[in-house]
Amino acid sequence: MYYVQEERTIRDRTLLEVRGSDHPIQWKIKFLLGNSSRQISQCRNSIQGKRLLTDELGYVCERKDLLVNGCCNVNAPSSSQHVCKSCLANGCCRIYEYCVSCCLQPDKQPVLEHFLNRAAEGFQNLFTAVEDHFELCLAKCRTSSQSVQHENTYRNPQAKYCYGESPPELLPI
Amino acid sequence: MGNDQKRTAGTMIVRLCLLVAFLGGRLPVVGTEEDNGPFSTPFPSPLNADALLSSNCSQLTLKLDFSTKVVKHEYIVAFNGYFTAKARSDFISSALRDVDAVNWRIIRRDNPASDYPSDFEVVEIRQDTRSSLLTLQDHPYIKRVTPQRMVLRSLKLTDSGTDGASPCNDTRWVQKWQSSRPLRRTSLSLGSGFWHATGRHSSRRLLRAIPRHVAQILQADVLWQMGYTGSGVKVAVFDTGLSEKHPHFKNVKERTNWTNEKTLDDGLGHGTFVAGVIASMRECQGFAPDSELHIFRVFTNNQVSYTSWFLDAFNYAILKKIDVLNLSIGGPDFMDHPFVDKVWELTANKVIMVSAIGNDGPLYGTLNNPADQMDVIGVGGIDFEDNIARFSSRGMTTWELPGGYGRVKPDIVTYGSGVRGSGLKEGCRSLSGTSVASPVVAGAVTLLASTVLNRELVNPASMKQALIASARRLPGVNMFEQGHGKLDLLRAYQVLNSYKPQASLSPSYIDLTECPYMWPYCSQPIYYGGMPTIVNVTILNGMGVTGRIVDKPIWQPYLPQNGDYVDVAVSYSPVLWPWSGYLAVSISVAKKAASWEGIAQGHVMVTVASPAENDSAIGGEMTSTVKLPVKVKIVPTPPRSKRILWDQYHNLRYPPGYFPRDNLRMKNDPLDWNGDHIHTNFRDMYQHLRSMGYFVEVLGAPITCFDASQYGTLLMVDSEEEYFPEEITKLRRDIDNGLSLIVFSDWYNTSVMRKVKFYDENTRQWWMPDTGGANVPALNDLISVWGMAFSDGLYEGDFTMADHDMYYASGCSIARFPEDGIVIAQTLKDQGLEVLKQETAVVENVPVLGLYQTPSEGGGRIALYGDSNCIDDSHRQKDCFWLLDALLQYTSYSMTPPSLTHSKNRVVPPTGTDKPLPQRLEGNHLYRYSKVLEAHLGDPKPRPLPACPHLSWAKPQPLNETAPSNLWKHQKLLSVDMDKVVLPSVRLYRPQVRPLSPGESEAWDIPGGIMPGRYNQEVGQTIPMFAFLGAMVVLSFFVVQLTKAKSKPKRRKPRVKRPLYLQQQQQQTPHSGKTPTV
Repeated sequence: MYYVQEERTIRDRTLLEVRGSDHPIQWKIKFLLGNSSRQISQCRNSIQGKRLLTDELGYVCERKDLLVNGCCNVNAPSSSQHVCKSCLANGCCRIYEYCVSCCLQPDKQPVLEHFLNRAAEGFQNLFTAVEDHFELCLAKCRTSSQSVQHENTYRNPQAKYCYGESPPELLPI
Repeated sequence: MGNDQKRTAGTMIVRLCLLVAFLGGRLPVVGTEEDNGPFSTPFPSPLNADALLSSNCSQLTLKLDFSTKVVKHEYIVAFNGYFTAKARSDFISSALRDVDAVNWRIIRRDNPASDYPSDFEVVEIRQDTRSSLLTLQDHPYIKRVTPQRMVLRSLKLTDSGTDGASPCNDTRWVQKWQSSRPLRRTSLSLGSGFWHATGRHSSRRLLRAIPRHVAQILQADVLWQMGYTGSGVKVAVFDTGLSEKHPHFKNVKERTNWTNEKTLDDGLGHGTFVAGVIASMRECQGFAPDSELHIFRVFTNNQVSYTSWFLDAFNYAILKKIDVLNLSIGGPDFMDHPFVDKVWELTANKVIMVSAIGNDGPLYGTLNNPADQMDVIGVGGIDFEDNIARFSSRGMTTWELPGGYGRVKPDIVTYGSGVRGSGLKEGCRSLSGTSVASPVVAGAVTLLASTVLNRELVNPASMKQALIASARRLPGVNMFEQGHGKLDLLRAYQVLNSYKPQASLSPSYIDLTECPYMWPYCSQPIYYGGMPTIVNVTILNGMGVTGRIVDKPIWQPYLPQNGDYVDVAVSYSPVLWPWSGYLAVSISVAKKAASWEGIAQGHVMVTVASPAENDSAIGGEMTSTVKLPVKVKIVPTPPRSKRILWDQYHNLRYPPGYFPRDNLRMKNDPLDWNGDHIHTNFRDMYQHLRSMGYFVEVLGAPITCFDASQYGTLLMVDSEEEYFPEEITKLRRDIDNGLSLIVFSDWYNTSVMRKVKFYDENTRQWWMPDTGGANVPALNDLISVWGMAFSDGLYEGDFTMADHDMYYASGCSIARFPEDGIVIAQTLKDQGLEVLKQETAVVENVPVLGLYQTPSEGGGRIALYGDSNCIDDSHRQKDCFWLLDALLQYTSYSMTPPSLTHSKNRVVPPTGTDKPLPQRLEGNHLYRYSKVLEAHLGDPKPRPLPACPHLSWAKPQPLNETAPSNLWKHQKLLSVDMDKVVLPSVRLYRPQVRPLSPGESEAWDIPGGIMPGRYNQEVGQTIPMFAFLGAMVVLSFFVVQLTKAKSKPKRRKPRVKRPLYLQQQQQQTPHSGKTPTV
């Protein structure tokens, strides 16, 4: 009886995990290649941060260095672009804002495309609604069903924000 | 129960018949409406669910108790029609004018309907009753006068099965424990809310007019008529889904499914109902029909959901820039970090989260997550008479235990009992639960958001600030039940529309003398040398998602009001994020007031700063300064014997570990999750001790951290934690020096612990308890020096001790006790055998109670009892506060209770040498949750003893100032002047006050019925038409009636209802321009 139960829950789980590309999702993201030093008058940014923010050009800065137009003040000492600070080789980072910034590096596009082509059904809603590189990185770096073990525990509480394809490393509880 | 009461019992059907019979077709059948609720709902109530599970073991019968009694001196005066309160009062006075020296008054009915015309009045007549009644009867507008009756109804599930060996014993334990339902987040509706609420039914309820739609009761129509209907606001419903073509909804933007069932439709009705309360446009109208609905299906039809589904769905809600999100779900696991972090992330992205506080009341310590979070609007339930619904979860948050003190939750309460909302496919139904209250607030919030011109100002903090600043406090209810009070939509509209970004506090003042609102603070004065009283204030910061406290909060005592007799220490969140943080205020009495008695006042000043988003100057900040008034009552330090110290430090609970229930019979609630605090599930015990004159303080630190010479008795109840070696040594010394100890232990049996493991579907793993009900091996380490020990026996049963009926619910026995001690034994059932082998055995002479005077000069006394269930509020069957009193008489005053010493149940103390003492369960994971143990190669070892908590008292900055006399009326939000935002003169249309004949209840769901406000565009046209027609009918009716009344005073004929209803509309017209009562 218990076996049956466990089998079923395993099946439930895999529903949301990365799997083969038999039903690739129809993503429509427009990557803006290379020209990240372009001039824009208004920036979207990552909104949520306690101390840090990442703008759509990939700059990370402290909240106090955010300009009225939503962009980081590139001249502030705290600002830097496309930083992968706190990120591990597997593409998982300790700090969300750095994950987003790192993900916005132009050379991350192949990784992201590869992920999108293989993304599981459970992520379909999310990634078909994403429209550009910045939205994709904001969404991809968030913790998700891939980030947990036993539902209520992170796989790796120290590096849970991943721009890469693999889930965070599974640490013992 | 009075002598003149009737009492009947029967089945459900009998009950309904009775109800109908009793109401006699004359009185408005209020009950019927609500009664429909549970029968029409597919949700099994917890009771039901349990009943189903054990149905093959024993027969469960739904039993009804129905009783009425005449209320002395109270009479119901029924009129021929509907009249205003003033008119009714005039009629009665004119009728009674001629009776000499009549002593009468009208009993006020304070409910939402009392503003509306009614056809009856309850009158108290104390003198000349008979003649008064006769005179009243003769008045032309008075139809009849009847004695007031109080109706008491209660439903009970009774186990009518045979006791003892039931045929399905072998599956019983396994089956029940396997269920993970209590762990899992559950949807918070109650099919059976009214089952719980029946205790509060009174005659007034039965006679009252029925409020129809919750949106109208909250006067949403005023905002609709101003043109606000929720348009432009994105509202997400996280629930069981919604069918595609439901007739109630006009703006379903998107439906998504996040479960493993391949459907978007609602198979249960829960999600549909919730969506309806928020946005239905017809029949049972919601608050914001034009809002943009986003339906997230995160619950299966079996009410299963997982954290991971929520995580993905929440991410989508962030991407879609949802404004308001309703979560009518909750669970006890506030340590589910991925979930809690995600909720923070949502609110940090400006999603206003509204969530149900839980249906686990009236027990305290039952708040559900995420409603218990500072950044979430947590909603509790009330009924239509403004009583806190019995099911509504309450008590402080338990995140902060043992060292701190819990926050005030819920934030706000609103209607959650018998509320009408959309049915699964069509029509309306009524449901109860905080599940229902939550969308009421979510709908109101959506509607409110649509009224604000500058949407930038609307965020999770400002919305919550507006709701709590405008809420109406309910009398006689404490803040841990009602939060800031009852939702007032129109006042919230006013506050929100004059809102300027600022910080505010919840609660907004600290008045430790104010009862009952500030219970439990008001239940015990403070004194020098006592453990500091901690008030956990929540800072709400509407200025930005992050903020910080500038410099340090300042304590300013008022010198004319003895503020210098108080010491205050403040600790606070280093960063206020998201939108909120804590401000923990510890209050102590200064040494110079050690023998002083009086009231002391002052205030704490806090300045909050947030990055200014609209400031061109980089690094600019907005600041907001808030004042927190403080008022305390100080008494001289009580004598040692009156002071009891409650050990909180050694109580562990779920979450995070599996700490099983203390009563093994409670199989559908396997976890100990209420905090085991004197202000949560030991509340009754605390109240009892206070009423006996004891002062109870809480130890939130190791035993090494208190001055034992100050206390008579240390009370350790149901402790799960281990002990530092230093604690064991210190306690030994303390008891030698005169401190006494009372231990209420509980069961600990490793075989039973293995047996009660279960597979938890939410965490998808096996759960093995880390202790028993209590940690007996650890307790034995603590008390072994006196030659005492508890056993690993597991006993259950009823017995009598000192003429008191007692129930032993899964307790242990005393295995060893000093030979000069007093030991009482009882005959009990061996529950261990029952759990393990499904056999029944009775054991005689089980030592349950021991009393011992330690031998050293001036040494303290020790009392042990093997079960804690009789002083715990959760699942308690029979209380034993008398025993606690007797034990305290013994420990604190050295008075040996003769009823125990001379008891025939006294036995020779057990030496216990024949049996080994219980050992810790091998491979247990207690070290993961313990503050004492840490993992080690081999067995876990104690950590180094932590330092005792140290408070740094704020340097006072005295003021020569006097505090305002009424603290709670002080301005809750700055720059909000209630008079400034004036509501336009709109004609209100009222909830229907039409009485309902028995059997007519179906008519409620007929879409074509004449219901005001089915669809707001229609309303404007239909109502004047009806009003005009109605006026004509009424006029002619009255002419006829008046002429007939003169000749034939008694005329019984069925009332014409609709015209009468419209008549009151007509009567209203002269006042139709008035501003709503705000």
